[in-house]
Parts: sequence; C-alpha cells; structure tokens
Amino acid sequence: MIYFLNALNQALFYYYLLSNLGYLVMLIIALKTSAAHLRHLESVRLHWIKGSPLAPPITLIAPAHNEEKSICVAVRNLLDLDYPELEVIVVNDGSADNTLQIMQQEFRLRLVRAVYVPQVTSAPVRGLYRSDVDVRLLVVDKEPGGSKADAVNAGLNAATSPYVCVVDADSVLERDALLRIMVPVLADPKRVVSVGGIVRVLNGSEIEGGRMRRVRLPRKSIEVIQVVEYLRAFLIGREAWARGNMLTIISGAFGVFRTDLVLAVGGYRSHAIGEDFDLVMRLHRHLMDKGADYCIQFVPDPVCWTEVPSDLQSLGRQRSRWQKGLLDVLWPNKDMLFRPRYGRIGWLALPYLWLFELLAPVIELGGIATIVLAACLGVLSSAFFLQFLLFGYAFATVISIGSVLQEELTYKRYNDWQDVARLVSYCFLEHFPYRQLHMLWRLQGLWQYLRGDLVWRPLKRQGLQSAGTN
Amino acid sequence: MGSAFETFRRLGPAAFVLKAIISVIVADVLLLGFILLRRTYRKRYFAKRDARLFELREKWDALISGEMPYATWRTKPSDRHLVETMVLDAFEVAGPEESARLLKFMRASGLVEKCIADARNHQGWRRHRALVALGRTRAPEGIPALAEGLRNRNPETRLAALRGLGQMACPEAAVEILNWVGEAGLVVPALPLQSALIYTCAERPRVLLPYLQHAEASVREVLGRVLGEVATPSLGTEILQFAEDTLPELRAAAARALSYAEPGLGVSVLSELAKDPIWFVRLRAIVSLGKLGRPAVIPFLLHGLTDSNRLVRLRAAEALMELNIEMVSIFENVAAMRDRYGLHAYLTALENAGLQAKLEAEIKASECGEQDREMLLEVLRSGTAPPQQHGSQQKVSVAVASRS
Repeated sequence: MIYFLNALNQALFYYYLLSNLGYLVMLIIALKTSAAHLRHLESVRLHWIKGSPLAPPITLIAPAHNEEKSICVAVRNLLDLDYPELEVIVVNDGSADNTLQIMQQEFRLRLVRAVYVPQVTSAPVRGLYRSDVDVRLLVVDKEPGGSKADAVNAGLNAATSPYVCVVDADSVLERDALLRIMVPVLADPKRVVSVGGIVRVLNGSEIEGGRMRRVRLPRKSIEVIQVVEYLRAFLIGREAWARGNMLTIISGAFGVFRTDLVLAVGGYRSHAIGEDFDLVMRLHRHLMDKGADYCIQFVPDPVCWTEVPSDLQSLGRQRSRWQKGLLDVLWPNKDMLFRPRYGRIGWLALPYLWLFELLAPVIELGGIATIVLAACLGVLSSAFFLQFLLFGYAFATVISIGSVLQEELTYKRYNDWQDVARLVSYCFLEHFPYRQLHMLWRLQGLWQYLRGDLVWRPLKRQGLQSAGTN
Repeated sequence: MGSAFETFRRLGPAAFVLKAIISVIVADVLLLGFILLRRTYRKRYFAKRDARLFELREKWDALISGEMPYATWRTKPSDRHLVETMVLDAFEVAGPEESARLLKFMRASGLVEKCIADARNHQGWRRHRALVALGRTRAPEGIPALAEGLRNRNPETRLAALRGLGQMACPEAAVEILNWVGEAGLVVPALPLQSALIYTCAERPRVLLPYLQHAEASVREVLGRVLGEVATPSLGTEILQFAEDTLPELRAAAARALSYAEPGLGVSVLSELAKDPIWFVRLRAIVSLGKLGRPAVIPFLLHGLTDSNRLVRLRAAEALMELNIEMVSIFENVAAMRDRYGLHAYLTALENAGLQAKLEAEIKASECGEQDREMLLEVLRSGTAPPQQHGSQQKVSVAVASRS
C-alpha cells in the first residue's frame, strides 16, 4: 500500500512536470511565432485588402437567443466592420424576448422569401428578413433548435459567400478584425481552409456604441483569473499548436471557415456540446481522409472581445460544459489516435488532449486524494510534499507570467500599470484554490456526460451595454 | 561550513528537485524583472521622445525649408531618427507639391543618402528599418539599394526590401521586383509580393505582361492575381491572350480586365469564360458581363442563373437587376427555365434591390396573354417554379440564340 501510494505520488509529480514542460515548449514556440507574425504583418497593407475587389466575400453568422439588451449594438458593430464584401446574417434562434421585434424596428426589416437553401440540418425557419437600412443584413428567424450549432446551421443555409465567419452576438469585434483574420487566406487561398482569431475578456473594459473605447482589467478576481487563462490559452496554446498545423479548436466566438468545406462535413453537429471543437475535428478528419494539403491557422491580432462569467456558478457551468464538449468530441474520434493517416493530429495533438486536458481533473484530483491518504496513513514524506508543491506552483507561474510577457512584448492591450501589476499578481494567485475548484467543475462535467446529463444551462450575462460598468 | 555544491551532492535525488525549484523561482523573478524594467524604460523613453518631438514640430516649417541649420539635428542620432520619422509620416498624407518639398528637404539634408548607406551597410533590424524607410522616401535613387536587398540571403532582408520597393509605387520599382522574381522564383511569401506589385504596377499594368508569359507557374499565379487587381482599359486586346491560359488565376484576371474592354469583343470572350470549369473564373466573367451593361449579355447572365455554384448564380441575378431593363421578359425566361436555385437567386436579388413591386406592376401592364400573366404573378408571389409546359425550355433557348 505504502509502495503504491509513493508510486502514485511520484507519477503525479512527473505528470505535472511533463504538462508544464509541454507548456514551456509551447511558450517558446509562441514567442517566436508572434515575432514572425508581427514582422510579416508589417509587409501587408490592410487598407489594400479593404479596397481590393478580389478580397473573397465573407458572410458573418451571428446566432442570437434572447439578446434583446444588446442585439442592436452588436449588429451595428458587425455592419461597421472594415471589409469590402460583407454579408451579416443574424439568426434569431427562437428568442422568447423581443430580439426580433427590436431588430425589425431598428433595421427596418422586411420579409423576403428566397435565398434559403437547406443544405445542412436545422430547425424550421419561420421567416427571412432583409434590412432596408443596410441591404447587407439578413435576419433568419427560426424555431428554437436548442443549440448554437443549430442556429449556425440555419445561417450556413442562408450564407452566400465562399467564407463564413461565426461570431457570438454578444461579442465585440475590433473594426479591422476581419481584414486581419483574412490575411492567411489571402496569402495562401488554396491551403488555408480555416482561421481562428484571438478571444479576449471584455469585462471591465469601456465600450461605447458597440466599440472598445478603453481596455481595462475587470475588478472581480474571478474575471481577472479568466484573463490570465485566456492569454495562456490563446497567446501560447493556440499559437503553438497552429504553428505545427495541429490546431484542433477555433473559438466559436470568432473564426473563419471555407463555406464549401463546412457544408461538405454537414455543417455544425446540432447536438454537439462543444460545436466549435467538433467542427474543426471533423474538418481535419475530412481533409486527411481525402489526403488534402491544407492548413488551419490562428492569427493572434484580430481581436474579439467577449464577456466571461462573473460569478462562480456561471463559471462552473461553463467549465463543466467545456469538459463535456471535450469528451463529446474526443470519444467519437478515438479512432484517429495513433493512426498514420491522421499524422501529427493523431500522434501528438489528440494524445495531448486526452492526457493533459480530458484526464487532467481525474489525475490531479486523484493525486490530491492519494496525498491526503498518504498523510492520513502517516506515510507522506513532508519534504517530498513541500518540494512537489513548491515546484508545481513555481513552474506553473512561469508559464502564466510567460503569457503576460508575450502580451507585453507583442500586443500590449493592457497599458495601465495598475492593470499589469494585477495581472501578474493573479499569475501567482490563480493556482490556489481556483485551480482545484476548476478541476472539480471539470470532473463534474465528465460525470454529467457519463450520466447522460447533456442539458445546456444558461450563463448569467450582463450584456454589451453594461460591460463598461463592471 | 561545506559549499552549496557539497550540500546539493549530499542531498542525492532530492537535489534535482531542489535545483528545479530554484530554477523556476529564478525564472519567475527574471520574467517579472524583465517586464518591470521594460515598462520603466519604455515609459521614460517615450516621455523624452514626445518632448523632443513637440519641440521639433513647433519648428516644422523652419526645419523643412532649411532655415533651421541641418547640423542642429543631424549630428544626434536620436534627433535624426525623429526628423526622419516625421518626414516619412508626412509623406504618407502629402499631395504632389508637398511630396516634392519633402523630397527636396530629404535630399538637401542628406537623409536620402543616409538611408541608402544604411540600407547597404547595416545588418539585421537596422538594415530592415533602413530599407523600409528608403522605400517610403519614394526617391528613385534608392531603387538600386533596394534591389540589392532583394537579392540578400536573409529572408527578412528580402522582405524588407520588397516592402521598400512596394512603397516606391512606381513602375521602375515593379521592374526590379519582376526581374528578381524572374531570377529567384517565389522566395518570399505570396501576399507581400502581391501587395508590393499591386502598388508598383498600378500606374502601368503593362509591365506585368512580358513576365506573365515566361514566369514559372507559382509566380504566374501571383502575377495573375496582381493583374486581376490592376487591369485597366489601357491593356486593350493584349489581355485576350490570357483568356485561354492554363492557369485559372490568369483566366480570372483576364475576365476581370475585360469588363473595361470594347463591348463587342468583351461579350464574346466573357461568354466563353462564363462556361469555364473553375467557379471563380465563371464568377469573374459573370461580374464583368454585368459591368458591360448591354442587353446582349442577358442570355449569358440567364445561363449564369443555372450555374452549379451559388455565388455565381447570385452574382448573375444581381447583374440582371443592375441592368434594370426588360424585366418582364427576363423574368419570363427565368420562370421558363424552371431551375429552382436560379429562380431563388433571381428573387433574392430582386428583393434585395427592392424591385419586386416594380416587376409586379410591369407584369400587370405587359402585353402577354392573361394565362401567362397570371402564371408569372404566381411565380413572383410564391417563389416556386411553374409546372412543366411543353416548349418552355425551347423558348429560353430561342431567346438566348436570338440575342447571341
């Protein structure tokens, strides 16, 4: 028993070590890639893309469910984006509030009949509306489909452009975000099939007329911790995975896809829990099965600002849903593991996701349990425990501070001294007790999935208009 | 007391963990220290820079006219860099007269020569910066130095030189780029090359043509996209040679350029390109046919409504709307085609253009038979194709034939 507990404790130590080393490697790759990206961007003139008749048209799809508070600001924001050929499709996913009526008044919508070709499955459409204020705006009013994926599919059926960009209706895109996200597509239109942009935390920043006026850190600790998490996930994780063409997720809040490919894989899976992750995995599978030479890229500067949960309950729901989504995608794709046909995805990206993302809550919480058990039995080496704790803590903070450094060296959105000091301090504070709580939420997500509890629980949101008053 | 190394040795395996802990703590401290020092340094640097910039800005006219002796700012590198930045920024928004004044100042003060020397002699980021700055001066004497940069081994230097030449925005710079691409092939990413060529070829797109004929496939593809962007009527019939090219990008470029061609010639070539197997070539051809704005293009646009690609169908329908002529007869043909997707595209474009009421009124006032009128109104209201009628398909074919 003692031998077994000691072995488990040692294994946990090496698991932490491996996980953090993996992140350290990603940090180094990300620092290098970001520098190269910034240099590359200097030679591209965004205003040329803006004025180019050859820039491929894009359809923006924004699903909206009970968004009456913020829908007008959000739609105006989307219509104001800099891009030469833009179509905006807002999908009213059976809202029970006045989302549609408010849009009808604000954008003078009139009922139209055509344009909708049901190529992918979606709940029945009640009507299509074209705006008299801006002809680029089309509103699809549909029966509630119970998922964002269903709403996006309705938008896909109505889309008329070779590229679609899926955005959240409650997010704020920077004015040049589309121009920036299309740079990889314009550079290599044959290979680049999809591009993801960075998603940052909106809470605490000042918004005026749907535009970002001043970037500030949120006040609540739980929100600041999420800022650190987003920086780590996007500026380090996504950047590094994309460098090796192993990006397996493009955030549902902001990503561009080739329309024909999304339609070819059957659109979004209506009942997928993590529909964004699911789509990217199916694209990988589809293209690799065909032996296509392709790449899925990540661009770190087209920014989408999104509101994150500001209370523990909502955050817990979100994180357990993400974990359910992870299992919901990884399990059906388990046949891709270690198959030569799926290359680096099968040999590196998927095993990493299984070991360090999906099983992390089980391993980490299991590890903590064995340490407690060993302590109860009096067989825990206090020196080992202290060293393990100190090492794990200090190494993890290196990664978090590294992501702040990456932000400082490259995009530098948080200019205020006070903000940077707080951001750095949360790099130290996030590991206890937030990390353990996070693991519990994730474990809960796994448990719910295995029990068949796939109910989508809404998160409490403040809406765009109040984002600045946080 | 034993040394620290001795203590570590005695610890055995635990020493490894201890060293690891110390290393990561040191890494934490170093990272934090770096962030802190960098912020402090930048804050001071920018405060000093802003103050000096303000001083110089106040004396702007005296500076540019040469009243202020060059020696007052030339000898100090930070001041020289500031003046250079200010002048180059002013170039971006200056009209022809102001540009000439600024260039005269840069030549007289020796800034152009300094840029040329830096672009030739420096290494690394200093050279890259000098190459871009030299391009921004738009002084033609800088072109040879930039061309040397293009032939450098370092890809970053090549990219900076390309950016510089792109900023020159003159055909001479385009020739240098094209010569180099002809020699070296596609050794820089396509987008910066495309961007630079668009700027430099805009004035005289003809410079592209000889290279388009002889360059290798990957380069031709990029040049084709550039041609599609900069093509103007000045190219005349020379563009026709690319209408049958093996590269779809070039056929698409030809299709785009032909929207400016003489209508008779344009219609005949574009009608062929509208049948191309590659969808974006058909798309360009349909858009160009629409731009010609002649009744002769109607049959081909009607044919475009039945295209397998949704975007082509929609563009064909939009082009028909823009013509805004013979609406009833066009709608009659659209209905007779009984192509559900084509009809959808047409009705979408009709509704988007807000012309539904106008078409309805025109149908009601038309001279066609009562039955046909009712059928057309029903199609317009319901959005569904009419039931099969003998001879309806033939009617479209006849209409197409008579126009062509």
